Amino acid sequence: MIQIAGLVKNYGVTPVLRGVQLHVAAGEFVTLVGPNGAGKSTLMRIVATLLKPTAGEVKIGGWALPQHGDRVRRYIGLVSHQTLLYGDLTAAENLHFYARLYSVPDAEARIGRALKQVGLAARQRDPVRTFSRGMMQRLTIARATLHEPEVLLLDEPYTGLDQDAAQLLDDLLLREQGNGRTILLITHDLVHGLDLCDRIAILNRGKIVVSLNSQEVTSGEFLELYAAHTGRKEVTGGK
Amino acid sequence: MARPKSATSSFWTAVWSIVWKDLRIEQHTRQTMSVMLMFSLVVVVMFNFALSTDLDAARQVSTGLLWATIILAGTLGLNRSLSIERENQTIDALLIAPVDRRGIYLAKVISVTIFTLLLEVALVFIFTIFFNKPFWQPAALLVLFLGTIGYVAAGVLITSMTIQTRSREVLLPILLLPIVLPLILPAAIATAEIVSLQPQMDTVNSSISLIAAYDLAILAVGFFSYPFLVES
Amino acid sequence: MNMTRLNRTVTILNVLAFLSLLVSIGFIFLYAPIERSMGNVQRIFYFHVGTAWVGSIAFFVALVAGALYLWRPQRRWDTIALSSVEVGLVFLTVTTAAGSVWGKPAWNTWWEWSPRLTLITIAWLVYAAYFMLRGAIEDEEKRGRFAAVYVIVSFVSIILAYVSIRIWRDIHPVVFGGTLESAQGAEQGLQDIAPGLASMRMGITLTVNVVSFSLIYLAWLMNRIRLQMLKDEVTTLKMRVAARLQGG
Repeated sequence: MIQIAGLVKNYGVTPVLRGVQLHVAAGEFVTLVGPNGAGKSTLMRIVATLLKPTAGEVKIGGWALPQHGDRVRRYIGLVSHQTLLYGDLTAAENLHFYARLYSVPDAEARIGRALKQVGLAARQRDPVRTFSRGMMQRLTIARATLHEPEVLLLDEPYTGLDQDAAQLLDDLLLREQGNGRTILLITHDLVHGLDLCDRIAILNRGKIVVSLNSQEVTSGEFLELYAAHTGRKEVTGGK
Repeated sequence: MARPKSATSSFWTAVWSIVWKDLRIEQHTRQTMSVMLMFSLVVVVMFNFALSTDLDAARQVSTGLLWATIILAGTLGLNRSLSIERENQTIDALLIAPVDRRGIYLAKVISVTIFTLLLEVALVFIFTIFFNKPFWQPAALLVLFLGTIGYVAAGVLITSMTIQTRSREVLLPILLLPIVLPLILPAAIATAEIVSLQPQMDTVNSSISLIAAYDLAILAVGFFSYPFLVES
Repeated sequence: MNMTRLNRTVTILNVLAFLSLLVSIGFIFLYAPIERSMGNVQRIFYFHVGTAWVGSIAFFVALVAGALYLWRPQRRWDTIALSSVEVGLVFLTVTTAAGSVWGKPAWNTWWEWSPRLTLITIAWLVYAAYFMLRGAIEDEEKRGRFAAVYVIVSFVSIILAYVSIRIWRDIHPVVFGGTLESAQGAEQGLQDIAPGLASMRMGITLTVNVVSFSLIYLAWLMNRIRLQMLKDEVTTLKMRVAARLQGG
């Protein structure tokens, strides 16, 4: 579904991505981890059609980016560290707006269902700025999946979530995975990221240095592997 | 998944949904309108105070003052309208949606134009009363309408740049005001002519065609170059 | 263009520009006749028109370079646009200064808020703001893009302002392709061009000046481009040293 080959991105003369190779099959859940400044978010923004690659090949569903960005956009949903919600609109209005942008058929019913799924039906008429971080993040997920994208991109979706909200997000992700979505997740939480995914990859200094199936490795082994490749011990386990 | 829909109709659907969204936000907060209106009142009162020694002088400069108020209050509206999209980085959501980027530009021009026109309704009322000149005449309203379109068309384009720089709000008037002067000068001259006792219609007509030419040219430039401002 | 070839071009252009400046000064003071009504002060006219001509060419070059940058974002287009605006702004300033010096005896005032002079002020402000925009953006690629869009918008806006002054009556005469309305303005400014030989001599001097100022512009532009390329090279080298020191 997502094919990335030899992807290079420079900011001015500073290289951020130096030849990234990554393939995500349809329906696969891939977690991407790496130290700060490794280029994770840059990679995500390129896949989300927000940034143009300097060189290399990025294809989503067979369409090359950035040339076919407008064809690809309908099929991707993005959850970034920003909520991408309008604080002054109500929850329902936010979803209505995005439903219109994506010309979602049968919007009314779908929005009702989505709000129920993320447990916000009771608060749908409240402006989003009054929501807690966890509620906003839940609404963000509803927003990103409203048009039933085939590819779901998540950039640090767990940031600032409490235990309950994180649990809810886990459930949502597993359900989306069950629905056959292709998921690319970026997280700081190595163990948690490993638990969720089919395959995990480490991005370090703008390159994918490790990519393996999550069954092949225990969390302890993976932490060692991560330390060996990045030279850093990440904070793991809790939030 | 992709529904069979013509490109133009989905383009306009997107434009109108963004306009609808901007109006909805304004309906909830009333921030843009109240800030623009309050600012305009302050400007008018301040200038009246400065010119109060001579009422005739105040009348003489009233058209210039009207346009100065509009473009200064307009920068507030422009900044507000485009910073809304930066608050939670919602601009990214617009950019990854299957929406033509030029549609985003057009939608922003339409919504800011609506706000500015609403402000002008109030200003025409205030200026007619304060300066005892017929600013409500159809020809004057036409000049205001056309002038606003060109001003906002340039404004949205420039604000989309300044909002992404370090100096943000500070930079906008410096970049925008010189760019729109070639529009504001004929607009102010035409307005002054219309509200004068013996309007010279050929001056008004030539000014209106200049304003219309500016509108079309800047809209075209903005329409085609806006995508370059939002994608990197 | 590679650096050695650029260096050679710059040297040749520098020499040519200097020589042509001498030639045009010679023409202005030795060849051109004394203008009937205004006398010697009219000689500044050749500088005034020459620099004004170069100013508009410079901004047009910037427009083209800006459009090319948007089409194919390459650093050199941005460099050309930047250099051309910079040089153009200097020429615009010289035009205004020379015009002001001339305006004092001709109109008995240094400055008049006539449409054309207002236009010049607007143009000056618009292109001065170009540097403020550039200064506010860190990222090189983004700076190039924004500056390119800005330079296109400003040119369009200035063109419209130019059209509008053609429509309104003006104290300032129109030299290139004058219209009927501006004819009466011309009487106050340039005065009726002396008939016959003197007029031809004025025309030749003006042409020589326009050509030589164009040469000076070209030389200056190339110098500025060369400077920018050297600057970029230094930045790249600095980055490499920094990367090396960090152990990259």
